[in-house]
Amino acid sequence: MKKAISVLVSAAMAVSMLAGTAATVSADEAAGKVYYLNFKPEADEAWQKLAAAYTEETGVPVSVVTAASGEYETTLMSEMGKSDAPTLFQVNGPVGLANWKDYCYDLTGSDIVGNLTSDAFALKDGDMIAGVAYVIESYGIIVNKALLEKAGYKLEDITGFDALKSIADDIQARKDELGVEGAFSCAGMDASSDWRFKTHLANLPIYYEYKADGIDNTDAIKGDFLDNYKAVFDLYITDSTCEGAELSAKTADDSRAEFADSKAVFYQNGSWEYSSLSETFSDDDLAMIPIYFGVDDENQGLCTGTENYWCVNNGASEEDIKATLDFINWCVTSETGTTAMANDMGFVIPFTTAQESPNLFVKQDAEYTAAGKTPVSWNFTTMPSEEWKNGVGSALTAYAAGTGEWDEVVSAFVDGWASEAALAG
Amino acid sequence: MVGKTIKKYWPIFLLPTAAAFCIGFLWPFVWGIYLSFCQFTTVSKVTFVGFSNYAKIMLDNTFSHAFWLTVLFAILSSVIINVMAFLIALALTKKIKGTNVFRTIFFMPNLIGGIVLGYIWQTLLNGILMSLGQPLLALSATNGFWGMIILLSWQQIGYMMIIYIAGLNNVPGDLIEAAQVDGANSWQTLFRIKIPMIMPSVTICTFLTLTNGFKMFDQNLSLTGGDPQKASQLLALNIYDTFYARSGPQWKGIGQAKAVVFFLIVVVIALAQLRLTTSKEVQQ
Amino acid sequence: MIQKTKRNYTILTVVFTFLCIVWVYPIVTILLNSLKDTKSITTRDVFNLPNSKTFAGISNYVESITGMNFLRSFFFSLLISLTSVALILLCCSMAAWYVVRVNSLIAKIFYYLCIFSMVVPFQMVMFTLATTADRIKLNTPYNICVIYLGFGAGLAVFMFTGFVKSIPLEIEEAAMIDGCSPIQTYFKVLVPILKPTIISTAILETMWVWNDYLLPTLVLDIKKYRTIPMAIQYFRGSYGTVNMGAMMASIMIDIIPIIIMYLVCQKYIIEGVIAGAVKG
Repeated sequence: MKKAISVLVSAAMAVSMLAGTAATVSADEAAGKVYYLNFKPEADEAWQKLAAAYTEETGVPVSVVTAASGEYETTLMSEMGKSDAPTLFQVNGPVGLANWKDYCYDLTGSDIVGNLTSDAFALKDGDMIAGVAYVIESYGIIVNKALLEKAGYKLEDITGFDALKSIADDIQARKDELGVEGAFSCAGMDASSDWRFKTHLANLPIYYEYKADGIDNTDAIKGDFLDNYKAVFDLYITDSTCEGAELSAKTADDSRAEFADSKAVFYQNGSWEYSSLSETFSDDDLAMIPIYFGVDDENQGLCTGTENYWCVNNGASEEDIKATLDFINWCVTSETGTTAMANDMGFVIPFTTAQESPNLFVKQDAEYTAAGKTPVSWNFTTMPSEEWKNGVGSALTAYAAGTGEWDEVVSAFVDGWASEAALAG
Repeated sequence: MVGKTIKKYWPIFLLPTAAAFCIGFLWPFVWGIYLSFCQFTTVSKVTFVGFSNYAKIMLDNTFSHAFWLTVLFAILSSVIINVMAFLIALALTKKIKGTNVFRTIFFMPNLIGGIVLGYIWQTLLNGILMSLGQPLLALSATNGFWGMIILLSWQQIGYMMIIYIAGLNNVPGDLIEAAQVDGANSWQTLFRIKIPMIMPSVTICTFLTLTNGFKMFDQNLSLTGGDPQKASQLLALNIYDTFYARSGPQWKGIGQAKAVVFFLIVVVIALAQLRLTTSKEVQQ
Repeated sequence: MIQKTKRNYTILTVVFTFLCIVWVYPIVTILLNSLKDTKSITTRDVFNLPNSKTFAGISNYVESITGMNFLRSFFFSLLISLTSVALILLCCSMAAWYVVRVNSLIAKIFYYLCIFSMVVPFQMVMFTLATTADRIKLNTPYNICVIYLGFGAGLAVFMFTGFVKSIPLEIEEAAMIDGCSPIQTYFKVLVPILKPTIISTAILETMWVWNDYLLPTLVLDIKKYRTIPMAIQYFRGSYGTVNMGAMMASIMIDIIPIIIMYLVCQKYIIEGVIAGAVKG
C-alpha cells in the first residue's frame, strides 16, 4: 500500500511538472485573440463591459488589464516580456513612442486609420503610422456655478487670471459665511494624483514658451513662463480647502469629493470627470473655464488634445494582430462601441463614425473654439520622460508643504529637462 | 549500503528538486549574468554591449545614493533591532508575570507581509507626522528613512527576541549560580557569562538583520515608494525601479548590471559572516 | 533583596504591558479605521475613533470582498501557499536525504549550489525567472509551485540536510535489511524522524510564500490571477482613487487568518523560528 502511494506521489510530481510545460497550448489560437493593456483606470469598468460585449458578438476573446496608477510603464515593460504579451497597448505621444517604436505594427492602410477625422491624429514614426489617437480630451478649471452665484459672481466675471484670483481670494476670505471650506478643492499631491499639476498644469508654461519661440519640441526648456506657473499654483494652494503640509497625502479623489460635496468652488481637472460629477450636479450647475495663465487670457481656450495613442504589438501572431485591428475598428465604428465610448467612458473620439458625446465639458470646448478662442494644445507629450514629471511633482509637493523652495521646482523643471533629454538622446 | 541502494532512485529523490532548481534558480541566474552585458527590452531583441552597462551604473547617481542609504539602513536597523530584542529577551527570561503573552504579542508582526506592513505604517506614521506638524513620509526622506527603521524594528524585534530567549535558556543554570556564589553581581554575570555564552545567537541575529536590511524591498515599496525623488530608495527598490519603471532601451541592461553588483555585495557580506562565525567557533 | 527584586518585577510587568499595547496599536488602528466610512479615513482623522457619523459597520468588508474579487485572491494565495509548501517539503526532504547518504559529485555540487542560492537576492533573477516561467507556462496559481520549489529549494534542502546528518545510519540500514525499499524507508522511517524539521520548514516557507509580492507579480498571468499582496498593492491603482475603506478592510482580511493560525500553532512557529535560526 505504502509503496503504491509513494509511486503515485512521485508520478504525480513528474506529471505536474510536465503538465506545466505542455498543457497550455490550447485551442482557439486560429481565430486570434486580443489582450489590451489599458492606461485609463477610470475607464476600466467600461472597457471590461465592452470587451465582453465584443466577445459575445464575435466569439473573439478579449482580455483587458488596467495597470495601477503610475505603473503603466512598469506593467507594460513586464508584460511585453511575456510570450502572451499585450496585442494592444498605448503610448502617450512622440516621447513614449521613441521607447516602443520597435514594437509597433505599421497601421498604414488599416481600416481604423481610414476612419480618422484628421491625419493629425495619427502618430507617425518616419513613414510608418505607429499609433492612432483614440480620445480627445479637454481640461481646465471646473466651476460650481451655484456656489459662484451664491458668492455674488457670475461666470462671465472671470475674464482672466487677475479676475480669477480676486474672486478666489474673496471667496476664501468669506468661506465660513458661504459654507465652503475653500475656493479651490485641495491640490492633492499624492503620487497617484500629482499628474494634475506636474503634467497638466505644467503644460501651460511649456505651451506658451513653444508658442513664443515658434517651436513644437525642445531639448532645453528655458522656463520663461514659470512665474505664471507659480502664480497659478500659489493660488491653488493658498485659496484651498486644506493646508499645504497635508497635500502630499491627498488624492484627486479627495479633491473631487470636496468639490462634489460643495465644499469648494473650483476644481482643476478634465472632461473625463464629467461622468462622475454629473451624478451629483446638473449641467446647469457646472462649467469648465480655461486655466487662465496671465499671458494671453483673452484668447485662451481650454487645454485640448490627446496623450492616448493605440499601438498594436508587431510581435504578436498574425491572427492576433488581425483580431486586434478588427477589435479597435469595431470599437470606433460599431453602434455598441461608439455608444460605450461616448456615454460610458465619456470620450470624444476622433473618428468619422463617432457619436455625439453628452459630455458638457466637451461641448464647452467647442463653444470656446467657436467663440474664437484658441485651444491650448497638449505639449506634455513632449516632456522628456516620466522621471522629469516625477521630479517636478516632488519639488512641487515639497514647495506646497513649505519644506522646499520654489527654486527647486525651477531647477527640476529646467535642469531636469536638460538632463533627461540628454539621457533620452 | 543505504547510499548505494538509494543512489539508483535518483529520478524520484533528486530529480524533481534538481529540475525545479534549474528552472527556478540556476538557469535564470546564469542568464541574468549574461544579460547584464547586453542591451535589451524584451528577450527577443538582445544586443551584446560588453561592460558598458557596468560603466553606466556609476553615471547614475541614484545607485550610489541608494547604496549608501542601504548600508546605513542595514547597520542602524540591525543595531536597534538586536539591542532591543536582547533587552526584551533578558527581561522575559526572568520570572515576571505574563511572559508568554508578551512573547506572543512581540512576535506577531513577523507574520505579516511586507506590502501590508508598509500600508499599515504609512497610515499610522502619516497620522502622527500630521499631528506633529511634520512633513509627511512622501515629502521627507529623513522621515521616510526613520519610518522604515521603525517598521522593520516592529516587524523583526520579536523574531530576534525568540532566538535570544532560546540562547539565554541554554545558558546552564549552575554556571550562573556558581558565579553568584563567587560573589558576581548581576552586571558581571550578564557581561562575563550570559553574553559570551550566547555569542552564536548574536552572530545569527546580526547576520539575519543585516541581510534583511540589505534586501528589503516590499516594505520600501509600500511605505515610501522611494519618495521624495528616490531619496528613500534602498538598493533592491532602486534596481527594480531602474529595470521596470524607467523607459528607454538602455535601462534594463543597467538594471541587470546593478543586480549583479548587488548580488556581489551580498555575497561579500555572507562570506565575511561565515568567516566570523567559524573563527568564533574555533575559540569556543 | 527579595523584596526589591519583586518590586522590580512588578515594574517590569507594567513596562511590558505598556510596550505590548504599543505593539498591537498599529493593528488596532487599522481595525478601527476599517470600520469607518471611506471619506472619514484621512490622514488627519486616522486616530479618531469611529463615531455614529463615521461608523460604517462592515460595509468596507462587504465591498472589499464583493467588489474587488478579493475572495478569488484569497483562494489563489491559499492555493499557492499550500501546493508550494507541500511540494517543497516532499521534494526537498527527499533530495536532502539523497544528498546526505549518496556520496557522489553531483550530489555535492547540488548541495553547494543550494547553499549558494540562499544568498542570491531576488532582484538578480527577477526578470529572467519571470521570462523562463512564462516560456514554459508555469504562470498559473496551479503550477507556480514548481517555481517556488526551485527558488525556495536552497533553504529547505539546507535545513533538512542539517537534520538528516544527525540521524544514525543504523536505523535506515535496519529497515532496508527488513526488506523495505528506499521509498518505503523514506516514508516509514525518515518522515517520522524528520517531523519536527518538517514542521519548522513548513512554517518558514509558508510565511514566505503567503506574503510574497514581487515573485507572483512578475510571474503570474496578471490577466487572470492576483494574490492578496498584489490585490492590496492594486488599491493604489486608479488615477487618484484610493478606496481607503476597502483597503483597510482588505488588510484586516489578510491579517486575521495569519493571526488565528499563529495563535493556534504558536508553539510550532516559535520552535520553527529557533530551529531555522540555529541552522541558518
